[in-house]
Amino acid sequence: MSKPFRIAIILATTLMILGPVGLVIYQSFLSGPFFQPSSTFTLQAYEFVLFEEDDFRDAFVNSAIIATGMTAIAVPLGCIMAFLLVRTDLPGRRFIEPLVLVPMFVSSVVLAFGFVVALGPVGIVSVWVKGLVGTIPWYLYSKTALILIAGLTHVPHVFLYASSALRSLGSDVEEAARSSGAGPLRVALTVSLPMIMPSILYATVLVFFLGFELFGLPLVLGDPERILVLATYLYKLTNKLGTPSYDLMAVVVVAIIFVTLPLVYTQRKLLAAANRYVAVKGKASAQKPLAIGAWRWPAAALIVAWLGFTVVIPVTALVLRSFLSTWGEGVAIWPNLTLNHFRELMHYPNLVRGIVNTLLIASVGGALSVGFYALANLALHRWRSRWTSLMDYLVLVPRAMPGLIAGLAMFWVFLFTPFLQPLRQTLFSLWLAYTLVWLAYGMRLVSASLLQIGPELEEAGRVVGARPAQVSRDVTLPLIKAGLIGSWVLIFVTFIREYSTGVYLLSPGTEVIGSLLVSLWGTGAVDLVTALSTVNLALILVGLGLMYALGNKRHA
Amino acid sequence: MPKLTIDDLHLRYGTVEILKGIDAKFEEGSVVCLLGRSGSGKTTLLRSIAGLEEPYRGAIRIDGRPVYDAGSGTNLPPEKRDLGFVFQSYALWPHKTVFENVAYGLRLRGQSKAELQPKVQAALDGVGLGALAERYPSQLSGGQQQRVAIARALVYEPPVILLDEPLSNLDAKLREEARIWIRALIKRRGITAVFVTHDQAEALAIADQVVLLDGGRLVQSGTPEDLYERPETLFASEFMGTNNTLSVTLRERRAGRALVELGGQPLWGVDRSGADGGKAGSQTKGVIRIEAVRIVDGAGENRVPAEYETSIYLGNQFEHLFRCGDQTIRLVSDRRTGPGRHWLECPPERLWVF
Repeated sequence: MSKPFRIAIILATTLMILGPVGLVIYQSFLSGPFFQPSSTFTLQAYEFVLFEEDDFRDAFVNSAIIATGMTAIAVPLGCIMAFLLVRTDLPGRRFIEPLVLVPMFVSSVVLAFGFVVALGPVGIVSVWVKGLVGTIPWYLYSKTALILIAGLTHVPHVFLYASSALRSLGSDVEEAARSSGAGPLRVALTVSLPMIMPSILYATVLVFFLGFELFGLPLVLGDPERILVLATYLYKLTNKLGTPSYDLMAVVVVAIIFVTLPLVYTQRKLLAAANRYVAVKGKASAQKPLAIGAWRWPAAALIVAWLGFTVVIPVTALVLRSFLSTWGEGVAIWPNLTLNHFRELMHYPNLVRGIVNTLLIASVGGALSVGFYALANLALHRWRSRWTSLMDYLVLVPRAMPGLIAGLAMFWVFLFTPFLQPLRQTLFSLWLAYTLVWLAYGMRLVSASLLQIGPELEEAGRVVGARPAQVSRDVTLPLIKAGLIGSWVLIFVTFIREYSTGVYLLSPGTEVIGSLLVSLWGTGAVDLVTALSTVNLALILVGLGLMYALGNKRHA
Repeated sequence: MPKLTIDDLHLRYGTVEILKGIDAKFEEGSVVCLLGRSGSGKTTLLRSIAGLEEPYRGAIRIDGRPVYDAGSGTNLPPEKRDLGFVFQSYALWPHKTVFENVAYGLRLRGQSKAELQPKVQAALDGVGLGALAERYPSQLSGGQQQRVAIARALVYEPPVILLDEPLSNLDAKLREEARIWIRALIKRRGITAVFVTHDQAEALAIADQVVLLDGGRLVQSGTPEDLYERPETLFASEFMGTNNTLSVTLRERRAGRALVELGGQPLWGVDRSGADGGKAGSQTKGVIRIEAVRIVDGAGENRVPAEYETSIYLGNQFEHLFRCGDQTIRLVSDRRTGPGRHWLECPPERLWVF
């Protein structure tokens, strides 16, 4: 790739990242909407949100409490599960392991619906329990329940990092502890887990950060008791004051980014530390699982219970509800089974469009995004320059923007920029927002395959006479082809699952399942919501099947 | 006119100076070895010639034409330099067959399938792999991969071929065979080859000209015999061969010879200290290859007494260890020897005083 081309791509990416953010910051200092000429510079909005608005303070405190609480639940549980599944002879671990990651692939708003349908005041499980003991011993819409569910659904994030770190640890260190007289629990607590501390620390910051970004769960579970968090506060702000208050929304966005950006930065530093730590003890050949004897059964029960509560109950209830004509106390399941909700779905052109659009944006859009991520990666590839380190830091910015915020910022950009206005109500605006939100993730997916290519393979191309562009075409791209396809599948699932980015961009023509679910939930159309969620789950299943097939092919 | 000229080449990574002013000339058709320890800059120099590293001062000329010249701002990209390069890891493209790996350079030069087919086949035949053209690199052994890498670098007939430790990934037996056939192949084609190695035996075996580098500077350049038999510096003398480096007291310097004292005995040697050598009475270093020291029957000129310490058996000979005062002297001999005091002879023309 030639230098001007590299710089052009980096500049385009920079514009794509800083444009929306810049507009939000600019808006936060204005007295009215940025497109009104009468708006003047002022700090009013900051004064109002930070000092006069009780709801904002409550939301901020709630976010902090929930983030802390869910971290306290997810991190220990994720570590224990990683140790059990990776390092012990737990029965059925090979079968359970892939299931643990499932909550990561299901959109959290869909999971939240599932919890409502299963465990809400008239949920399927609640009603059944009430029939048994006469009362429902829990209340789903409390802050405690929200923290518990948020914590349990974020276990996979911790599991992912802890398990990959544990896998790269030689089993000799554990065997040494066993032969000096330590039991399995002691081994886990004093040897294995301390050795992967940097990875655990990284996952801790990640979960805490995700806690501040939480949108789907509090939107659904926090609404009945008016428990607001930062993201839901922002969402409600649209309607709260009657007119869309651009300046206040901008301030809230700036406030959220102020919290998340340092967290993202810390994460980046921690990840670098974690990678160094793991590299020190590279030898991980022939890991021998630790025998934990009678502990196997309670351990397996713990994991099965977690899986049951976090995945099986909500997903089963949701899918079941989508096939039930009605539900309430005293309603029998068998006579009420129906396909009507799915038929009804087909009568709403916007919902049908939503499904088609979701598929389009995930497949074609996902491929284009991966193409863009690949291009941006190639622009930085094997280039020692200040531009590269600039990009390193710039990609942190979209990481710090939750989908809701990026969608809002992108919406404003399309309002603001004259030549983009006609594109606002097309899938292009949505695609751009999706690509921006998942920029850091996608860049990392692609760069992981690029890192596998030895530099001399490309240098060899140059020496035999290929120009940089020819090397990219004939050597680099063919070598990362498999990696790009894998990235596309992951992006496919990610885009299908995405619900918050499209919320502000929702308009006739840009409907996607995720944003439709959010807006439908507000209208209380439970039948349609569950049916559409089931469609969403089915599409994700297709994506996971694709991933599995590709994974197997690569092993062959 | 030399084929390849390097003038005052400087290169740094960040603030670390890697090449500190290298001057060298390589004659057409010769095999040149860049020899040095790791970190000496030899690979960096090779990569600079190929255009894979960017120096900041100096010039590199091929046939008098600058491919890099800081003065005029010339810096041709690697693809414009028309060189062959064999990487240490071979760097065969795993997604292309052996045939396609070799053919790529010709395709880039606009040759049609019909034109390049016989050339690729000839190149592969030349390295003895004509039958394996349709295989993928992963289906070849290390030695075969190395041959493909060489065929790939030679197929478009570059005037200069650069090889970065091409033998280091082969096992010892294969390595000895490979250095003979590589030298024969390069000589047959009459091209200039620059070969990086850290193995002095390999350099002596394969090169017409050895360039010894240390810490980013050129130490000595000459024929293998020059370097082995007439090292100009202490570093060069210690780097080549297996040596005794002795702390001696300088007594006298006269007409290219130096008289030193070791264990109370006077020894004459070759004065290599140059103009800035020490004065009489100062401590200095004497170097003598272990094969130059002989056990002799009694006292005499250039002989020192030494106590026998131990021996190791090497198969074709013995290596004996003697102690002379606080110094250790090693030597090789085809006979066993016993404990006690022996006289060792250090021939004056083979003892170098620095």
